Amino acid sequence: MANKKILIVDDDPDVLQGMHLRLKANQYDICLAVDTFSGVAEARRSEPDLILLDLGLPAGGGFMVMERLKMIPSLAIIPVIVVSARDGLGNQKRAFEAGAKAFLQKPVDDNQLLAVIRQALGEPAATRKPTLHDQGAV
Amino acid sequence: MKEKALQVLLVEDNAGDVRLLREMFSKERPDSFELTHCLRMGEAELHLAKGGVDIVLLDMGLPDGHGLDTVRRAHAAAPGVPMIVLTGLDDEALAAEAMKEGAQDYLIKGQIENRALPRALRHAIERHRMQTEADLIRIHQIQFKDEFLSHVSHELRSPLSAIRQFVTILLDGLAGELPPEQHEYMEIVFRNVKQLQSMINDLFEVSGMQAGKMKIDPQCTSTSDAIAYAVNTLQGAATAKGITLSSDVARCLPSVCADPTRLRQILIILVDNAIKFTPANGTVTVQARMFDKDPNLLVLEVSDSGCGISPDMTERIFERLFQTSDPSLEGRKGLGLGLYICKELVTRQGGQIWAKSAPGQGSVFSVTLPIFSLANLISPAFRKEVRADRPVTLVVAEIASQSGWLSDDVRAEHSHGVSEILQRCLHSHLDVLLPKMGVAGAVELFFIVAITDSIGGEAISKRIQEQLQEHVEQARLTVSTSYRSLARTKRNSNESVQEYLEQLADGIQELIQIEISSRMVANG
Repeated sequence: MANKKILIVDDDPDVLQGMHLRLKANQYDICLAVDTFSGVAEARRSEPDLILLDLGLPAGGGFMVMERLKMIPSLAIIPVIVVSARDGLGNQKRAFEAGAKAFLQKPVDDNQLLAVIRQALGEPAATRKPTLHDQGAV
Repeated sequence: MKEKALQVLLVEDNAGDVRLLREMFSKERPDSFELTHCLRMGEAELHLAKGGVDIVLLDMGLPDGHGLDTVRRAHAAAPGVPMIVLTGLDDEALAAEAMKEGAQDYLIKGQIENRALPRALRHAIERHRMQTEADLIRIHQIQFKDEFLSHVSHELRSPLSAIRQFVTILLDGLAGELPPEQHEYMEIVFRNVKQLQSMINDLFEVSGMQAGKMKIDPQCTSTSDAIAYAVNTLQGAATAKGITLSSDVARCLPSVCADPTRLRQILIILVDNAIKFTPANGTVTVQARMFDKDPNLLVLEVSDSGCGISPDMTERIFERLFQTSDPSLEGRKGLGLGLYICKELVTRQGGQIWAKSAPGQGSVFSVTLPIFSLANLISPAFRKEVRADRPVTLVVAEIASQSGWLSDDVRAEHSHGVSEILQRCLHSHLDVLLPKMGVAGAVELFFIVAITDSIGGEAISKRIQEQLQEHVEQARLTVSTSYRSLARTKRNSNESVQEYLEQLADGIQELIQIEISSRMVANG
């Protein structure tokens, strides 16, 4: 079975690289984008199975990416997981209203990230190797 | 520049005093004060409500108002208007009290010196202005601090996020296996990253608390589950320090009315603290039992064999930013916010927290929480109807996801909105919407106890279905409703009202259990 493809949209190159490494090690194909426009453009070009989306992006922001995706029927169905350093209170609600599948706050626990990705992709739980050193933040 | 005349409202029923005061004002320049006179408090309130008054001169003994009550009423009618109270020679203590209630000053009748009146008025106005300004500055400062904290925690989280990612990448060997020594050092980095992360979360939590943004969702919550969660989460940390962490929960303990996430948070903070202050080979124990001083409360205890604290500190440790000054406690890391957060969480859920300790004797932290009582929840609806032995119906609203799987996030996000809509569907005196009663697999269940027969139950079900339809469609959820009538609702002649309510509550609880377990079977 072909690997699932995940688009990561984040303006922090370090976060981008870190997520890339982590997800590649879990047998996902990865494509990357660094701002609002390239996020939508990359989604259109590579038609990923899932999008990990930061909120604080240059030239519009994560909510605008979600709005744009909704206008394109083939992209509107792609599950979006919001991964943001912003506080959960108002943003989480807004993200769900905009159609996000989940809201994760940075710094993200790797196991949680992988579990949420699997759920959103409809994959059975724990078919992939769990990470050794991430047991949830207190 | 010519100043506008100050609008003075005199509230005084004694004609002699009024004449005296008028005389004093008449000595001033006519354009400096404009006097309006009311005889009664009611009249003054109406006048104040119209606005335009710069200062009130208030007698504290009026036909329709006495003492501090007049001050409170005048303050309530026009909170932004400064006030001077007029009092007799023997009432100076009362006048001082009036200043605590918001009066700027007091004048003793018959003792007002020549020209003292205008000065007192101007002073009072100026003092009031300064006070208002100081209040405004304080509000702005709090707002600024909250925005600042929110901004800072966001900015700190981003780089910390990258550090955490790469540390775990190295630790998991995604960039090649690490030699044991490097692995060990990387573990130290990771431990400190987590520490920093929890400190940022604390900062954020506290700023949210003070801005009144803290979310607490009280429901029927099992303490043994929360204790097991906390013990499991921190077992690793305890073992690493050579500490025995165990729990001892009394059997058949009733559930509490608390937010399960917040309860876990409380226990994690307390157990984490206990581990921090306990040396190797020590013990940390979490206990839960009925509170012997109040049958409506349950008590949770976290005890340790650690260094303890002096008894005079046992209250101060719950203060914000409290840090022990004892240099021997160098294992301490953190901002000193944990116990403060704990206390806020406990008191906002109707409980209390306290500590008992002595240096070298270990510490015991106790938390009380109200027991979840179905009988108490339904009693307001039944108090009036209890004689009528009316039929009781349990209405169930079931929310599910169109995709068949309802994530915890979506659950948490929507349950509040759904509850609000349900609340609007209720017949206010006869129906009770219960808090969350348990987890039912892939769906979320809401229960309403209605004092009605099955026809009424059907009507409520339909109403809920209609009202919720739009909300759930927007959120890509589905809703279905059903109802079940309670078999026995007659009250025996020898039963007290409380016994009757408890019987009913048991019956309702049974129906709820059937509903929940049927979902569990259906959803595996």
